[in-house]
Amino acid sequence: MKPMGIISTQFITLKDIKVNSIDLIEDAWGINAEFNDVIDLLRQVNPVPERCLTTSLIKKIRKIV
Amino acid sequence: MISDYELIMRFIKGEQACFEKLIHRHKNKVFAYISLYIRDQALAEDIFQDTFLKVIQSVKGGKYADNGKFISWVMRIAHNLIIDHFRRIKQMNTISNDNYESDLFNSKAFAEDNVEDNMIKRQIQKDIRNMISHLPDDQREVVILRHYAGLSFKEIADITDVSINTALGRMRYALINMRRIMVEKNISLTLN
Repeated sequence: MKPMGIISTQFITLKDIKVNSIDLIEDAWGINAEFNDVIDLLRQVNPVPERCLTTSLIKKIRKIV
Repeated sequence: MISDYELIMRFIKGEQACFEKLIHRHKNKVFAYISLYIRDQALAEDIFQDTFLKVIQSVKGGKYADNGKFISWVMRIAHNLIIDHFRRIKQMNTISNDNYESDLFNSKAFAEDNVEDNMIKRQIQKDIRNMISHLPDDQREVVILRHYAGLSFKEIADITDVSINTALGRMRYALINMRRIMVEKNISLTLN
């Protein structure tokens, strides 16, 4: 009998499965798979605060603290 | 990377720079959430600042209890400020803010592309924003909290006071509605 493990799939532990960036509930509902076209579109919008806004916020905070 | 909780603890002990780190870490998510809700740019910026000022007050006042995720607590504060704003508008019985167009697309990518690409991108982003704004409130809220604020469905359910299943259902309806609008208005990804 040939030994197993040389070409067979390696066992992985629960720690090896990286799920930090995945919402398992969403995944279970299959939302990303079903609506990937709409979700790709949503990713096109990426509003970011202007630097001056963040700077002025930090200035305000420095005054308060 | 230092955790949010550790940064807060250090801030409470007097390390002011730690709060600034938290702002830099989370500002994009918070701003995205607010600005997609509030179409008036100036008002969105005010609420953005008020959110972090309120966070400071709460942390300093010992009202912050770490229950796992700092950002979802911040989002709840932003969410409440937005609701307060809409309540005030309702009381004043005024119609507001559809004049929000400029400075929406202030990402670095814009500066690097050519004019034609920018125009197309701008149009796509405008269409997407319109698409989001046409959703019913409860559906729009879930889309923004999930895709722009990056919250999990459990956190969204907590913030919006509904069950996880309801939040998921709203997301599903929202995406179905958006797909319908995409088809009707012929919106598609023509870049990237």
